[in-house]
Amino acid sequence: MTQVLFKNRRPGETVFLDGYRKTGGYEGLQKAVKAMSPDEVREAVKESGLRGRGGAGFPTGVKWTFFPADQFGEKYLVCNADEKEPGTYKDRELLLADPHQLVEGMIVSAYALRIPVGYIFIRYGYERCSQNLERAIAEACEAGFLGDNILGSEFSFELHVHRSAGRYICGEETALLNALEGLRANPRSKPPFPAVRGLFGMPTTVNNVETLANVQHIIVNGPEWFRGLAATETGAGTKLYGLSGHLERTPCLELPIGTTLREIVEEHGGGVWKGRTFKACLPGGASTPYLAAKHLDTPLDFEPIEKAGSRLGTGGVTVFDDTTCMVAATLNLNTFFARESCGWCTPCRDGLPFVSWLLEKIERGEGTMEDIEILRGQIRNIHGRSFCALATGAMEPVASLLDLFMDEVVDHIKRGRCPLKR
Amino acid sequence: MPTITIDNQRVTVPEGTNVLEAAKKLGIVIPHFCYHEALGAVGACRLCAMTFLEGSDKGPKLKGVHMSCMVTARDGMVVSTLDEESADLRRHVIEWLMMNHPHDCPVCDEGGECQLQDMTVAGGHGIRRYRGLKKTYVNQDLGPFISHEMNRCIQCYRCVRTYQDYCGGTDFGVLGCNQRIYFGRFRDGTLQSPFSGNIVDACPTGVFTDRTYRFRARPWDLEEAPSVCPHCSLGCAVIPGARYRELQRVRAGVNAKTNGFFICDQGRFGYGHANRPDRPRSPRLGEREVSWPEALGALRRELEIIIAEHGSQAVAFLGSSRASLESNAQLLELARFFGSENFALEIDPERDRAARTTAALLGECARSQEEVRRSDFVLLVGADPLNEGPMMALAVRQAVRAGGSAALIDPRPVELPFAATHLPLSPQNLPEVLKALAEERFERFSARERTVLAGISARIKEAKRPVLIGGGNLLGSSGAQLLIEAARAFSRGDRACGAALLLAGPNSFGSALLAAQSPGPDRLLAQMQEGRIRALLCLESDPFADHPEPGRARMALSRLKLLAALDYLPTETARRCDIFLPTTAPAESAGTYVNFEGRMLPFGSVFDPGVPIQITGGGDHPPRSFEAHTPGSLPRPAWAALAALRGDSLSLAHIRRNLQRSDARFAGLAELEEGGEGRRVNGAGQMPGHGPELPKHPSAEGALRLVVTECLFGSETIASFSPVLDPVRPAPVVRLHVEDGVRLGIHDGEKVRLRTELGDLAVEVRLCEAMAPGIVVLPRLRQGEWEIFVPGVHRDCILQKEGG
Repeated sequence: MTQVLFKNRRPGETVFLDGYRKTGGYEGLQKAVKAMSPDEVREAVKESGLRGRGGAGFPTGVKWTFFPADQFGEKYLVCNADEKEPGTYKDRELLLADPHQLVEGMIVSAYALRIPVGYIFIRYGYERCSQNLERAIAEACEAGFLGDNILGSEFSFELHVHRSAGRYICGEETALLNALEGLRANPRSKPPFPAVRGLFGMPTTVNNVETLANVQHIIVNGPEWFRGLAATETGAGTKLYGLSGHLERTPCLELPIGTTLREIVEEHGGGVWKGRTFKACLPGGASTPYLAAKHLDTPLDFEPIEKAGSRLGTGGVTVFDDTTCMVAATLNLNTFFARESCGWCTPCRDGLPFVSWLLEKIERGEGTMEDIEILRGQIRNIHGRSFCALATGAMEPVASLLDLFMDEVVDHIKRGRCPLKR
Repeated sequence: MPTITIDNQRVTVPEGTNVLEAAKKLGIVIPHFCYHEALGAVGACRLCAMTFLEGSDKGPKLKGVHMSCMVTARDGMVVSTLDEESADLRRHVIEWLMMNHPHDCPVCDEGGECQLQDMTVAGGHGIRRYRGLKKTYVNQDLGPFISHEMNRCIQCYRCVRTYQDYCGGTDFGVLGCNQRIYFGRFRDGTLQSPFSGNIVDACPTGVFTDRTYRFRARPWDLEEAPSVCPHCSLGCAVIPGARYRELQRVRAGVNAKTNGFFICDQGRFGYGHANRPDRPRSPRLGEREVSWPEALGALRRELEIIIAEHGSQAVAFLGSSRASLESNAQLLELARFFGSENFALEIDPERDRAARTTAALLGECARSQEEVRRSDFVLLVGADPLNEGPMMALAVRQAVRAGGSAALIDPRPVELPFAATHLPLSPQNLPEVLKALAEERFERFSARERTVLAGISARIKEAKRPVLIGGGNLLGSSGAQLLIEAARAFSRGDRACGAALLLAGPNSFGSALLAAQSPGPDRLLAQMQEGRIRALLCLESDPFADHPEPGRARMALSRLKLLAALDYLPTETARRCDIFLPTTAPAESAGTYVNFEGRMLPFGSVFDPGVPIQITGGGDHPPRSFEAHTPGSLPRPAWAALAALRGDSLSLAHIRRNLQRSDARFAGLAELEEGGEGRRVNGAGQMPGHGPELPKHPSAEGALRLVVTECLFGSETIASFSPVLDPVRPAPVVRLHVEDGVRLGIHDGEKVRLRTELGDLAVEVRLCEAMAPGIVVLPRLRQGEWEIFVPGVHRDCILQKEGG
């Protein structure tokens, strides 16, 4: 299986500049700076079909067309390394194994967008990753890949690591920008989008770690190659899938994007643990709708997974076995979101606790059929109505609970207790 | 201008109007919390949802449910507020907001003017479905003005947007996250911003309430009327509220041209003067309380006797800048009636000249607070807006927030709620710097000063809407003239440079307009000393306290045969005069103030005078003593008392009509609406002569120049008689440049002796860096021996170490 991002990954080891260069590191940067114009780099990324790996899946090349790449002056490239989506740890694995992947990706991206300054906004708990990045940045500076006049060209770029003070909302790109400016991490209203008014009021692009790390490989090998990596017609590239939950094995691995859920669960995860059966999974983190057993043959790529009613999200696959109470699982997720609300808008700040209260009541066996209607009203008025995507994302598993596991919810109410509690 | 359709009604609105405001124009008030006209739209509460049926003809198609505060009206939009989808959302939002609200309306001061009550009803939420525990919070002690009751909070963020964003406060904000969000301070303590009271008005429910008014009245029981703040020259709109013959609170009124939506804490909490137990409420002959006819008869008889013996010029009339335009005009009428030409409408000679110069020259250069808010460069010269006209500091702050910039040339250490370059020049250099700016000749200044001045000059020239703001206290009349001339010099065909001068009182400009023929207070005092003036009638003026040479004033006053006074405050003049006539306090009067820019601002009477029931009933609640007559109801509007002295009884409307008929500058006065935007006077005053110039250098070796400066909550007359402000009176300390401290061996916090021509004072010294060397800055305080120092630049003083 082609390993692109994880090709230097060895258990318990971190590859730095020497190791990274041995396998072709910084060739993408050399090629970009010496042989390509920024426009050509952007065009290649657009053609490659690379889509954002942070959860929303927006085509990176298209996002960059909104950015004033040809305008000179103060602009920022921000890497969102605030990996906080429950069940997601792929960026950590990449940064623990091979931090130069991100550093080179950012330099090439900055070249493509003519950006002089970059920040890596990294989760507080990822201290080893931060140290790896700081060392990688120092090495890159030393080697002339970072700093003034990179590789003797006109292009200069400086890169900083910023440790997040830590909250889930900081992963929202505009809240991240506020946090980076030293303000409260409340999301900003869009428009204006960060590409127009971002960090310190200047044009800014915010991309995920995995997204940026793919850029130099596209430059070296070409967009055609990148699209060919996928297991599906519509997909492009590989994907880092992080497994968790009720599986025999829970590795993080790089697979062609569009590998089926069944292959991931049965082959790479070694099947559901303790000989139990598959009940449901969150295919891409806590803010994606559940997939049930009937969806096992869905390729985990953006388009097919949307057809199945969910989203690829971050690619953090969390599996639930048949002894799991889905009401309790959903309550657990919702409690997380309610706690992580920044408190800015009403549906999120007050609506999510209302939902938790309802789910708790149903789980306790005190729910009524009317509560299901009230819950539907909550979903209807939180999903798509909140200021940012946090509460909307929080409603995804709740809505799919009612879509896929309604019988189980009703069972709670009819029996007056949780049917799965022993 | 886009035309949009809301609920099948078409409305055309100015470019940039949001859909919420457009609906308001049609009379459709969509519930909202976080949106506020002055604070803007942030889309946090999610309550003002509307359903967009058709997008716009141009631009992105907008469909479905959106927050109407966040959407700019575009041509062709079709919007429904009645659609079930958005109505459902609004019901849910209210339900969420009410989840943790304690429903303590019966004991909440906000009850009756609570937006949450109104919006809950409007939003359609009635029945509680959430039965979980409610969040509760510990409240904080936020000082003497504001009560804190966090349990009632619905997290609209208006308080923090008002306090931090609009007013520039830093010691209050939002803490925590998710449902545990807390609006308060890091720890208990008095709110530091002099605009803290605005969070009471901004809060849509009862989290922040006026502590001074707490549990005193229900808002529907208050007598309220649109009025104008009497505490400085800015003329901000206020709404005083009275109950049981007591002025109980003041809240901000709305006037787009002046204050906008907010006021300062001096305007809000300086109301206690009207309720004082020692307020003089009866006409008096000597110590004896008499009836109005007896007092008026006696006063007129005394004046006529003096005139018969010594001629018409032996009686003099002293008006003031805190008396209304109509009262001052009636005083002139009275002087004319007695044939006297001896009158002045301000006791401080330099303040008199500065106001008259401003009224004479300002003309088309005048800029309102609103125009300052929209300015892109503001230069403050000898102006300390936070202390001399607090809302002006906020107006400049809004200009800076919108991308403009500001600079300050002032000898004092001036605090400002915005970033500004400060050039601390000595007071005698202020006129020079204005001349230099106008002529662009900076060679007399040091290299550093030259750089800053050249930068300021360049900014004024490139700015599209520059304004120069001066302070009358420090600039005096010649400085005021130079400031206005500089503004003219910076004006070009394509754009004008504006000017504004912060004056002493609410009607300084109006009094200055009327004072054209006045010989000035100096001449009056001289004639009193010479014994040529035998009688003085003071209209809401206190010559004992407000003359810059108190010794000389006292001497002159002691030579009078008759001192008469009209006032509503127990001033020294009111206590010591031979004949006293009680007048109504500003909130009990109707009248007009002409503010610093020459804007006529009429105000109405809020309540009738009378000793507060709190006092007559000995604190009973509810009051249990009832009588047919109202004790202490004798005070009359000053204009009515002055007209009665002539044997005339005129209505206010009559006085206004006479004024505008006889003086074209007041055209339109009679038609102005109380609580309206007001109207600039049409024409100028007459230029007075300038006062004596200050010597360039100190008279003696080691002498420092004394600068007396106004300070918030401590200097202004009416506020100084308001006990509500007692907890926040400024500290009696003088400020000195660090270099002077080193030279004189004086340490920070040290107590020293201040020796001046007027007298000596034991003072505590604060050393500062951000001020001019060679000066001592002393606050104007109306307490004890500090009272002899009135605002302005004085001659020399010496600081002496105790025992040295």
